[in-house]
Order: sequence, then C-alpha cells, then structure tokens
Amino acid sequence: MIPIEYFLALSAILFAIGAYGALTRRNTIVVLMSIEIMLNAANINFVAFSSFFNDASGQVFALFSIAVAAAEVAVGLAILLNLLKTSDTIDLEEVNTLRW
Amino acid sequence: MQPIELAWLIPVFPLLAALILGILGRKMKEGGGYIAIVAAAASLVLSILVVVQVLDGSFDGADGVINGVYEQSGTWISLSPTYKFEIGVYVDQLTALMLMVVSIVSTLVIIYSISYMGEEGGRKRRYYTEISLFVGVMFGLVLANNYLEMFIFWELVGLCSYLLIGFWYHKPSAASAAKKAFIVTRVGDIMFMIGIIILFTTFKTLNFRDLFSMEVSGSDLGLLTLGTFFIFGGAIGKSAQFPLHDWLPDAMEGPTTVSALIHAATMVKAGVYLVARSFPLFVQTPETLIVVAIIGGVTAFMAATMALNSPNIKRVLAYSTISQLGLMMLALGAGGYLFYNSMGSEGYTASMFHLMNHAFFKALLFLCAGSVIHAVGTEDIRLMGGLGKTMKVTSFAMLIGALSISGIPPFSGFWSKDEVLATVWSAGSLSWVFVLLYVLGIATAFMTAFYMFRLWFMTFKGEPGESSKHSHESPKSMTLPLVILSAFAAVSFLVLFIGSGFGGTVYFEEHGSLSIEGVLSGIFSDPLTYVSIIVAACGVGLAYLVYYQKWISSDVFVSSNVTRAVYSLLQKRYGFTAGYDAFAEKIVYGFSRVVDWFDLKIIDGIVNGISFTLTRTGDYIRRMQTGRAQSYATVIIAGISVILVLLYLLGGLR
Repeated sequence: MIPIEYFLALSAILFAIGAYGALTRRNTIVVLMSIEIMLNAANINFVAFSSFFNDASGQVFALFSIAVAAAEVAVGLAILLNLLKTSDTIDLEEVNTLRW
Repeated sequence: MQPIELAWLIPVFPLLAALILGILGRKMKEGGGYIAIVAAAASLVLSILVVVQVLDGSFDGADGVINGVYEQSGTWISLSPTYKFEIGVYVDQLTALMLMVVSIVSTLVIIYSISYMGEEGGRKRRYYTEISLFVGVMFGLVLANNYLEMFIFWELVGLCSYLLIGFWYHKPSAASAAKKAFIVTRVGDIMFMIGIIILFTTFKTLNFRDLFSMEVSGSDLGLLTLGTFFIFGGAIGKSAQFPLHDWLPDAMEGPTTVSALIHAATMVKAGVYLVARSFPLFVQTPETLIVVAIIGGVTAFMAATMALNSPNIKRVLAYSTISQLGLMMLALGAGGYLFYNSMGSEGYTASMFHLMNHAFFKALLFLCAGSVIHAVGTEDIRLMGGLGKTMKVTSFAMLIGALSISGIPPFSGFWSKDEVLATVWSAGSLSWVFVLLYVLGIATAFMTAFYMFRLWFMTFKGEPGESSKHSHESPKSMTLPLVILSAFAAVSFLVLFIGSGFGGTVYFEEHGSLSIEGVLSGIFSDPLTYVSIIVAACGVGLAYLVYYQKWISSDVFVSSNVTRAVYSLLQKRYGFTAGYDAFAEKIVYGFSRVVDWFDLKIIDGIVNGISFTLTRTGDYIRRMQTGRAQSYATVIIAGISVILVLLYLLGGLR
C-alpha cells in the first residue's frame, strides 16, 4: 500500500505546474490545458482520500468533477473560437480590452 | 334645515365661480363677469339668511349653538389624541357682521366692475377669476373656527391682494407695488405664525372654542402675552398699521374696484377682525392691549397727516383707510383695557360698529373715485375741478361718503367715531397714555374732515381743470352701486336702534345699552360728543375757506421754511418708503452678498474639494485594472496563498 503522502505530493506538484502554466502561458489553449491539470490534481486528492478513509463518496465526486471538466472544456473552446473570430488572435496578452 | 347649517356653502359659491371662470372664462361674454356676480349674490343671499338667524332671538337655543356660537367642525389632521387640527365653521355675531359687510360690498363692487373694467378686453377673465377667488377666501377667513384654518385663508387673501394689485403687471409701478404689498404683509404674517406656534405649544390647541374658554394663569400668562403680541403683529401687517403701513398707498396701483373691495372694505379689515376675534385672549393681557392702542392711535394720526397734501385721489383715500383702521385698533386696545379693569366692553362694540360703517362709506368713496377716474382719465385732483356739474350722482354720493367719514351728524361715521373717541377718553382715567391717544384721535378727526373736503372741493367744485373738460356721468351699472352704498353710508347708524341695537347684538361678554333713549342720551349728554362735532365742523370749514371760497390761499402751507419742510416730509411719507428701500438695499442685500460668498466659497468649496480629491485618486487607482486575466488570477492566487499561510501560522487550520 502506497502511503497517502505520496499521492498528496503528486497532486500538489501537478497543481503547482498547472497554476504556473495558467498564469504564465500566452496561448489560450495551453492555459486551458493547464487549468485541466489543476482540476486533475484535485481529482487525485479525492480518490486518494477515498481509498484512505474507505469511503466511496470521494470517487463519486471525482467522476462528477470529470464530467464537469468535460463540459467546461466545451464551453471554454467555444469562447476561444469566438475570440479567434472577433479579434483574430488567441494571445491572452492582446485580449485586454476590458480595462480602464 | 336651518340656514346656518349651510354656512359652509357661503365661501363655496365664489370659489366655484373662480374655478369655472379660470377654466372656461375666455369663451364667455364680458369675461364671465356675470358668473362672478351670480356667485357673489348667492353668497349674499345665504349670508343674509345666516345673519337673520344669528340676530333672531331664538339663536341661542338652536341646534349646535353653544354660548351664542354655532360651530360645525371635523378633524383635519390628527397627530395624536391631544394634538389635532380641525377644519370647520364658527358663526357668532362677529362672524355675522363680517359676512354681512363682505357679501354686500363684494356684490356691489363686482356689479360696478362690469362697466369699470369693461374696456379691459381679454384681461377681464383674469380679473373676475381673481376677485371671485378673493371673495371666497375672505368668507373662509371670516368663518374659520381655528387659527390654522384662519391663517391659511389669511395667506390666500394676501395672494389675491398681490395678484390684483399687480393686475396691470406690465406697468413697472404696479408690479413693484404688488411685490411690496406681498413682502411687507409677509413680515406681519410671520409674526402671526409665531403667535400661532406659541399658542399651540402652550395650550395644545388652536380651536377658538377651547382657547377662549381656557383659564390662564401663572407662567402661561406670560406666554399668552407673547402670543397675543405676535398675533397683533399679523394684524399690523394686514391692516397696514404703523410701522408696516407703507404698502397700502402703493397698493392703489391696482384697479379702483380692487382698492375699494380689498384695500378698503374687506381684506385690510382682516387685521381688525383678527384682534376682535382673539379678544377673549387679548383682554387677559393688558400689556398687549396698550401696544394695540398706541399703534392704533399713532397710525391714525400719522396716516391722516400724510393724507393732507397728497395730490392723488386714491392715495388720499388710502391714507384715510389706514387712519380709520388705526382708530378701530385704538378702540379695541382701549376697550380691552377698560374690560380688563372691569369697566365694560363698549370699545369692542364701538370698533366693530366703526368697522361696519367704514366698510360702507370707504367702499363708496373709492367707487366714487373710480367713477371720477373713469370719466377724466387721471388720478391727480389738481387736474380736476368743477366735476359737480357733469357728474351729479357721483358728486352727491361722494359728498355723503365725505360727510360720513368726517363725522358730521347724522351720517353713520359720526356715531361710530364718537363712540371710539368716547371709549378712549374713558380709558384715560386709567392711564395718561389714553389721554394722549384721545388727543391724537381728536386731531385725526379734524384732519379727516379737512382732507376729505379738500378732496371733494378740489374734485367737484371750482373751475374745471385740464382733465375735466370732457367729463360725463358714468353708466347706470356704476352709479347704481354708488346709490346703494351711499344709502348704507347714510343710514347704517340705524342699526343702533333696531331691535336690541348694535350694542345688544355685537358685544363682548356684556350687552351695551339696549334702549333707543339710552343710546341717544348716552351720546348727546356727553360734552365730548360736541367737541368731536365742533372739531369735524372746523375741519370742513377750513377746507371750505381754503379750497372753495379761496379766502385763504393754499399757498400758506408752503410759505415759510418750517411749513415747507413739513409739507415735503409728508410728501415723502415721513421717509418710510426711502427708509425701507435703504434697508432692503443696504442691509438685506449686503447680508445676501455675505451669504452668497459663504455659499460659493465655503460650502461649494468643501463639496468641490471632496469630489476633486476623489476623482484624482480614482485616476491613479484605476490603472490597476489592466484588463489582463492572468494578472488578476496571479493576484487571486497570491492572495489565497497569503491567507492560507496566515491561517496556518495563526493556528486556524489545526
């Protein structure tokens, strides 16, 4: 049996990588992917605690979360396509019209 | 149903007429003047029915009559069970008297207006609307059963007065006279309001019924003195008493009919009526009564002197009105002081009797003046003369009015003026002040006789003046009211002898003399009566010698330096006009400039400073909103991290 600390460490590393990507990358698709990584870090936590406490509800939540993530990607990509259509770019640095 | 239960309808007719004329008058013949006449006549008929019932011996036993007062009222505003304002009608002998005077004079004046205002064209609708409104609110003022209701109508008659003085508002003098009348009377109105507030906070009620039946003692008596003093302040403004008398001569800028109705017979009487209505309160405060008497006496004298050399026919009558109102106040003050010292209340009766007589003869004089002005087209009596030949009815009617106001027996003015002076004389036994006031009163009587006959002789006798060449008698609808009013002016003293007499009808607490013999012997056994007759005759005689026979040249009044100085002082109205103007210009305007500076620099400065600081700060802070989603996310993550670290360090996570 692998100790839970290992899972948590993996999840933390994944979350940090995702956050770093989401904050630094200029390509919107990469930012979306980074957000998915952060979500999966949370899913790993759910599953790890589920097996640690012998409680199935954590796994149920992980499944929910995957479904929601799928929907989110669909919406996100749709926004992205519109963005490309209206401003001819997917560079986040250039999408800054909502400001002072 | 008794007529008195319909008393509330009396003001409704003219108000309704004002409404109809205001909306539809433009399309009507004569600007709807006939509607105004019908409404006034309806009020007159109803007033007569009410007055007959009040004078009827069975009035005291009728339904709803308590202690000689018929009252009908409902709650208007209820703040709490103890604090509430009513609205209703209050009818007693005093109300009946005022109803009679107002309804008769207003009906006659509106009939007269049809011809007098006949050439005004499209403005007639406005005239009839305003005058109907005035008649309605004047009835309301007279019928009010508490001070608040009275005050509302009080302000409304002031408004009508303003509108009608400024009827020819395209004339700058009329516009400024209207403003002056409004502002000067407003000074009095503010005092009236202060008086009402004092009464309300002290006695928790404004109803006449409750206030008049109250036993006042201790510290409340001081407040009552203050309250009556301020209420008298209201009367000073409305009745043009010294030192707020200066607006009334200027008010002559309005049409003559307005001067006759509002500024002689009715509205200016509201001040006297107010004091008479509040008499139960005034008689408890001798200090205020002395003030009333002094102001009245001084006003009577001052105004009479100013009338002596005025060349304007209407202004002479205006000064004379002020002077006569002063006499009424004097009688109320002296009579109240006598009553306070348990010496009867004839002063009240005398004052009200003079009020009634004055309403008739002064309205008559003004309408005669209007008839003359209509004929010759000027108000300057130096340009008139010899009109007696062409205007027989007018000159005869005006002679009756002049004889009446001068106090020549047997015309009505003689009886009431004599009673006023007799009251003041008998109050002289209580205080030397009243002896002085009596002297002023006698001097006023002399001057009144002189200036009235100066006016009459200069207008109707002698050589025809420049403007009187093409004069003609006025049409029937103008002379008819003159004839009716001169009949009233000549014989209204008869009410002294009808039934229980005037003293037995309009009285305060105590009946006056009841029998004809009592009244007559009371008047004619008193040497003072002969003094006032002789004084009046002297005044008429002097005017006859100077302005008719010309034995004495009128130049004697301006021959020496002293008389010339007095002459110009009177022409300048004792400098009151200039004084008020200077006060307005220097003090009021100066103060306004200070306030304006404070407003611009301090108040606006603070507000502008705050907004300036905020906009500049905002200018800098808004640059934080870069529009880049990633920098926002960075801030959020950094923030959450800081919170988590802090929670861990402070032990919130354990």
